[in-house]
Amino acid sequence: MLRYIVNRLLQAVIAIFGVLTIVFVVMHLSGDPTLLLVPQDASAEVIANLRRQLGFDRPIGVQYLDYLGDLLRLDFGTSVVQRVPVSQIVAARVPYTIELAAGALAVALGLGIPIGVVMATRRGGWIERGLTAVVVTGQSVPTFLSGILLIAIFGVLLRWLPTSGTGSISALVMPSIALGSVSMATFARMTRIAILDELGKDYVRAATARGMRMDQTILRHVLRNASIPLITITALEIGNLLAGAVIIETVFAWPGIGLLAIQSIQARDFLVVQMIVLLISVVYVLTSVLADLIYGFVDPRIRLMR
Amino acid sequence: MSDGTGSDGARTLTAEGLSVEIGGARVVDDVSFIVRPGRVMALVGESGCGKSLTAYAILGLLPPAARLAGGRIRLGDTELLALSNRSLRHIRGREIAIIFQEPSASLDPLTTIGSQVAEAYRLHHDVGRAEAMAKARDMLADVGISDPDRRLHQYPFELSGGMCQRVMISIALINSPKVLVADEPTTALDVTIQAQILDLMKKLVAEHHTSIVFITHDMGVVADIADEVAVMYAGRIAEIAPVQALFSSPRHPYSALLLASVPRLDAAAKAELPTIEGTVPTAEEFGPGCRFADRCPLADQQCRTEQPPLFDCGTGHRAACWHIDRIGELSKQGTRVTA
Repeated sequence: MLRYIVNRLLQAVIAIFGVLTIVFVVMHLSGDPTLLLVPQDASAEVIANLRRQLGFDRPIGVQYLDYLGDLLRLDFGTSVVQRVPVSQIVAARVPYTIELAAGALAVALGLGIPIGVVMATRRGGWIERGLTAVVVTGQSVPTFLSGILLIAIFGVLLRWLPTSGTGSISALVMPSIALGSVSMATFARMTRIAILDELGKDYVRAATARGMRMDQTILRHVLRNASIPLITITALEIGNLLAGAVIIETVFAWPGIGLLAIQSIQARDFLVVQMIVLLISVVYVLTSVLADLIYGFVDPRIRLMR
Repeated sequence: MSDGTGSDGARTLTAEGLSVEIGGARVVDDVSFIVRPGRVMALVGESGCGKSLTAYAILGLLPPAARLAGGRIRLGDTELLALSNRSLRHIRGREIAIIFQEPSASLDPLTTIGSQVAEAYRLHHDVGRAEAMAKARDMLADVGISDPDRRLHQYPFELSGGMCQRVMISIALINSPKVLVADEPTTALDVTIQAQILDLMKKLVAEHHTSIVFITHDMGVVADIADEVAVMYAGRIAEIAPVQALFSSPRHPYSALLLASVPRLDAAAKAELPTIEGTVPTAEEFGPGCRFADRCPLADQQCRTEQPPLFDCGTGHRAACWHIDRIGELSKQGTRVTA
């Protein structure tokens, strides 16, 4: 198990290093990142000054090492637009995105897994057909559309929930549903497949042959075995939720890092954008590692491995 | 239809005219046999002959595609096929238990051995966790698992295939069932382990007076463990007999050829192993007559058009062949047969 953990952590370090490098390369793809920062009509002198100030006139190798060194010290630079440390700008927004992602994940897991269980165990009835409709809808309606529809119905027409803003549970409901509905569909489908897969296995037949009721078999044995693939999917979905937050935060004027990213792109505040990209990538890698560790904990074949 | 062995006496399990269909094809056709207390009835045949489906039908465990098309199975005075699912649950594991070909796949990979054995006991006994665990420990020791206290807390993947089959046997026998159905329990195991498992089963049968329905394709295993043998071919019983009678004087050409194709140490080293030419007919190819006719050296017109009933040919010995009197011609021609 220890070797497994160390292995996964090493892989994570390599993956994060890859992410940092890719972000650096993308930033320099245009040749000169200075041009991304200045207004269209800036004079050559202004551009040259800024280039020197930010160090973009140095050889690319030096810039790369400098970039890695800064990040290692968790120094993300100072915003050229707001003149405050980038980390401060981003940190102020992170709690909102965590709140939203948690709400969306709760919707996705809380609805998706029970729906998947019911679909796998009550096959071929009107219940399954109804749930299939829910899942297909959740999966195929794009996030921005479901967000706008929710606002139109529950915010404007019925006036049950606030159309934007933060600070209360009621404000969190609609963005969470809008953001979580696609993941909910994914969880429902994956849970259904995982359970059907397990139901076909010999140990289920053996449990029936022992005189066990099907619902007992499902509760005691099938669900736990089926949860293993779902752990991996949860990690992937957290990454997807963070990416989807960019759209939903814009629709609901939710002040998280997604909205910040859009605002910073419009304001050409590229260090802020860079930090958000890095942050989301690192969270993505870390949730995958975490999933692997949980996986190892649930599955004795990995836990007891030497 | 007769009960298969002809003689009367105590019977634990009786199958009468059991038929199973898959997609309209009779893959088990009119199978009857009797299992006596503390005796081992072997169902033997090639893969696809319906022996496993017969076994699953006993416990109501037929796969969804298969349909019970008729017949009766009685455990004592209880008619099993008429039982509701609910009543059947009280039979499964308590009166009739089953062990499978792949022992490690038949255990939940994420649950410890101890909880799985204890769970089997608690399904049919109203006892606490600790008591069931103690029972599980004793049972593991009973089936020859060394260091049972440690094994209780291990997972299936930590045990060898042979060990897993011992665990399966302990799960099967923990409720002292009247009948144990064993579906090729040694096929997936090494030969040395096979012998150990067979010895264990013989010992437990003697101790617990359990009857066994033993499914196998291996004539060597049959000779080792069975009291009675039903040879199945293409869904029907070709011959049913006490084990000595079958091995010394098989009366159905299929049984005779099957026995002749078993390698023997005392045969001349260079002698070619006889084989049965041709292949088992698929369910679509079943004709009106004897299903072995196309591969049988004794077959004539009657064999192809008329299905032979089981003819008596000794005490508890019956064979479904029109030519049980001509079986001697087989050895005169030699056992090498051309279709």
